[in-house]
Amino acid sequence: MKKSSILGLIVIAISIAVIISTYGSTSTYGSIADARKTTDELHIVGHLDLKREMHYDAVKDANYFTFFIKDSNGEECQVEFTGAKPQDFERSEQVVMVGKMDAGKFHASHITLKCPSKYTQDKVDFTEFKAKEANI
Amino acid sequence: MDTFKGEHLLPGHLGQFFTILAFGSALFAAISYYFATINPSDTSWKRLGRIGAYINTASVIGIGICLYYIILNHLFEYYYAWEHSSRALPVHYIISSFWDGQEGSFWLWTFWQGVLSCILIWKAKSWETPVMAVVSLSQAIVATMLIGVDIFGQRIGTSPFILLREAINLKESAPIFATNPALYHNYLSYIKDGNGMNPLLQNYWMVIHPPTLFLGFASMVVPFAYAIAGLWQKRYTEWIKPAISYSLFAMMVLGTGIIMGAFWAYESLSFGGFWAWDPVENASIIPWLILVGAVHVMIVYKNTGHSYFTATILVLTSFVLVLYASFLTRSGVLGDTSVHAFTDAGMFWHLVADVVIFLILAIVLLAIRWKELPRTKKDEETYSREFWMFVGAIFLCLSCFHLVVVSSIPVWNLMFGTKVAPPSDPIRHYNIIQASFAVVVTLLTGVTQFMKYKKTDITKFFITSAIYLILAGVITGVIIYVTGVYKLQFVFILIMVGAVYSILANAKVFIEALKGKVKLAGSAVAHIGFGLIMVGALISAGTSKVISENTSGDQFSSDFVKTKNNPKENIILYKNTPVQMGKYLVSYVGDSISPPNHYFKVNYKVVDANGKVTEEFMLKPNAQANMKMGLISSPDTKHYLFSDLYTHVNMSNAITVGEGTAEAGHDEADDDKNYETPLVYEVSPGDTIRFREGYMILESIAKKDHISDITLTDKDIAIGAKLHVVSHDKSYEAEPVYMIRSNNAFDFARKVDDAGLKLRFTKVIPQKNKIEVTLYQQPESAKKWIVMRAIKFPDINFLWSGTIIMVIGILLSIFRRNKELKPE
Repeated sequence: MKKSSILGLIVIAISIAVIISTYGSTSTYGSIADARKTTDELHIVGHLDLKREMHYDAVKDANYFTFFIKDSNGEECQVEFTGAKPQDFERSEQVVMVGKMDAGKFHASHITLKCPSKYTQDKVDFTEFKAKEANI
Repeated sequence: MDTFKGEHLLPGHLGQFFTILAFGSALFAAISYYFATINPSDTSWKRLGRIGAYINTASVIGIGICLYYIILNHLFEYYYAWEHSSRALPVHYIISSFWDGQEGSFWLWTFWQGVLSCILIWKAKSWETPVMAVVSLSQAIVATMLIGVDIFGQRIGTSPFILLREAINLKESAPIFATNPALYHNYLSYIKDGNGMNPLLQNYWMVIHPPTLFLGFASMVVPFAYAIAGLWQKRYTEWIKPAISYSLFAMMVLGTGIIMGAFWAYESLSFGGFWAWDPVENASIIPWLILVGAVHVMIVYKNTGHSYFTATILVLTSFVLVLYASFLTRSGVLGDTSVHAFTDAGMFWHLVADVVIFLILAIVLLAIRWKELPRTKKDEETYSREFWMFVGAIFLCLSCFHLVVVSSIPVWNLMFGTKVAPPSDPIRHYNIIQASFAVVVTLLTGVTQFMKYKKTDITKFFITSAIYLILAGVITGVIIYVTGVYKLQFVFILIMVGAVYSILANAKVFIEALKGKVKLAGSAVAHIGFGLIMVGALISAGTSKVISENTSGDQFSSDFVKTKNNPKENIILYKNTPVQMGKYLVSYVGDSISPPNHYFKVNYKVVDANGKVTEEFMLKPNAQANMKMGLISSPDTKHYLFSDLYTHVNMSNAITVGEGTAEAGHDEADDDKNYETPLVYEVSPGDTIRFREGYMILESIAKKDHISDITLTDKDIAIGAKLHVVSHDKSYEAEPVYMIRSNNAFDFARKVDDAGLKLRFTKVIPQKNKIEVTLYQQPESAKKWIVMRAIKFPDINFLWSGTIIMVIGILLSIFRRNKELKPE
């Protein structure tokens, strides 16, 4: 056999290994209901529920933050996060969390925020406009 | 048509004209060069092509001037200026706001392609017509991204010259405009300022990182064009020589651009590191890896005549991957998986078309010429340098393949309707797999140095390479013991062996090069640089240590810590209350505000056993309380030669959104609520008043002639009490004033914010020869605090210096390859 054929085979073998290992370590997107059923880590996409209590007291524990989220099925769940409260958290529109359920609470190991500022920047700021109106 | 007051339409119209002209002239150049290539005898086609290319470059520069004029003059009637800049931006950030948006980065791309076109016309000689046909085609396609013209109701590209009122429905944003045409006519007078730039991008690296990166991307079209030209003109073997120099150039520039991005992330982003395997980062490194592989295989082909096919495929793929990367980051397809992907500007299919056009061009040409491609019957020598270079290149491609597979997960989801999420711990996933490839690649960059061109003396090879391997093993042993890398996974230790081995082997070649074989110096230096990058990245990322571990405070969630070994990385620092972190005594000592930046002054001290301060420095991590984007903070780093200390503030009660703007009118009574119940002291000069965090001495009482902005008449009596305040080893002067005007007593309080004090001179008691001082202290809870994180990155300077060395090495190689071209 030619060396190039051997090399070709090795390449194919490694490529397959890469795909399998990647597939093996991928996670899944799920709902809160899915998370309750499994002990595996998964991604949950949800909205922050501003009506429920959000707890972060840097003075007591700078690494403990809890809040409530609502997923697209309308189900609600409390989330615990070991770490500082992400900046500008209240303004986030969508929260993507990686973690797993434990005793009814979702333990997030990672939080990504989608802030409206990134998406709906097309709102012209007219605060100044209102102040001026009175003069006209 | 409506007219609007105050709009400057000329620069926009001019700019829009240039975008159309840029597209038209590029297309014209591409067509002319195409005919020039198929009719080589007719030189007029070539002349037309050149004219088209020159007009194109000139109009691209014209676009840049118009856009720059608009941004510099704050013409907020233009969406781009409104969206990306503001009046408060200093000039160097105005330059970077130019490429803050999608349109600006496309402009950079087309600008560099224009510059390269001129260089090719000047230098490419017999290659000019076919190469320029391809480059001009690429130039025309990039131009379509910028024209922003509606065709059949579909907008093609987004123009940077679109007006604000066209981009946004102002009548919806402000309903008053819908009802009152006169106001709408005058809308511009209500738009006082632009959106401004994301504070994170306000970093000097953002001024040069995008131009460098895009020069790298743009220059990758040149080797691609040479490969296409080679196939097209059936000059199968000739194209490789001139293409090597351009590939090396692209490799150098893109590599520099990527590392600049890493440095920016390290300096100004808060994730605490230089590389996070974010899809946007991956998108820039994917084409680079293939290009590095391509350069090596091209050299293999040039030296041996083997691997022609692989060299061609890799060069073609590298450019298609540039376009694919552009699709990934700009189409919005990445969605949830990236923190900082560009959002969809309605260009999804446009970007897909861009990839597909060049992919099909490459595939079709390869298929047509398939049978004629040069092939070698003879098998490669196992012990030749070229064979193992080839193997190394293949491993680079595999590493790239893995990155493509994982970063494209959202694309797979879209194509196959699946719902796969990226790995839940992506950094670990990437690190382990990429590390495995890096082990092979670094070992090969070492081992090939002991081999000879084509054939090697096997015994000698095994002996020398083994000796060096043992030496590398010993040195690695020392390094990992000293730095603590041995605690990491085994594969990372293997990379260290590989990297050290590569550095040693290439150092040997370099020393030999100094003795005479000068032409090998370039690659040796570049490999040493690469080895150092690996060493630096490994040590700093692998052994970075969070020193701000939370050891105080209520362990509110102790069982939570047990289940998850997430270290508690954030610590709260009260103002003037030092906390020991590692060897440092750290305290938050104050703020300095220069709008829009708010700097938190964090003092670091090293105190030895005798209580002597051996080292002291101040870090000023900063935050911007941006009205639109909320609190955005960036770290500050203390750089030592062998380690960096990184400090980042997450949260603080000392900063409020909108600070720096006019302070809201607050009245005295409100202000007092911020303090504890006042304490009243009767004192005479020389007396000391103690308070919780220090003491103060009444130095003197003196009559005042004037009190800042109040004019005093000779009927008024004003007395000031000079107080010397000492708190936490710092002293402050304060002089509250007591005043009698027409039988009424007033007093003017003075604040010492740093010490959390307000002082009033409330009464004069002549019979006791004393005065009354009222002391307001801020309660403990109102004391300012910051939540911060501090990380120590050891040996990161290897990474940065390795980059510089690698660039120097590649530069030497470019000179060498150019010299080889000369006799042609």
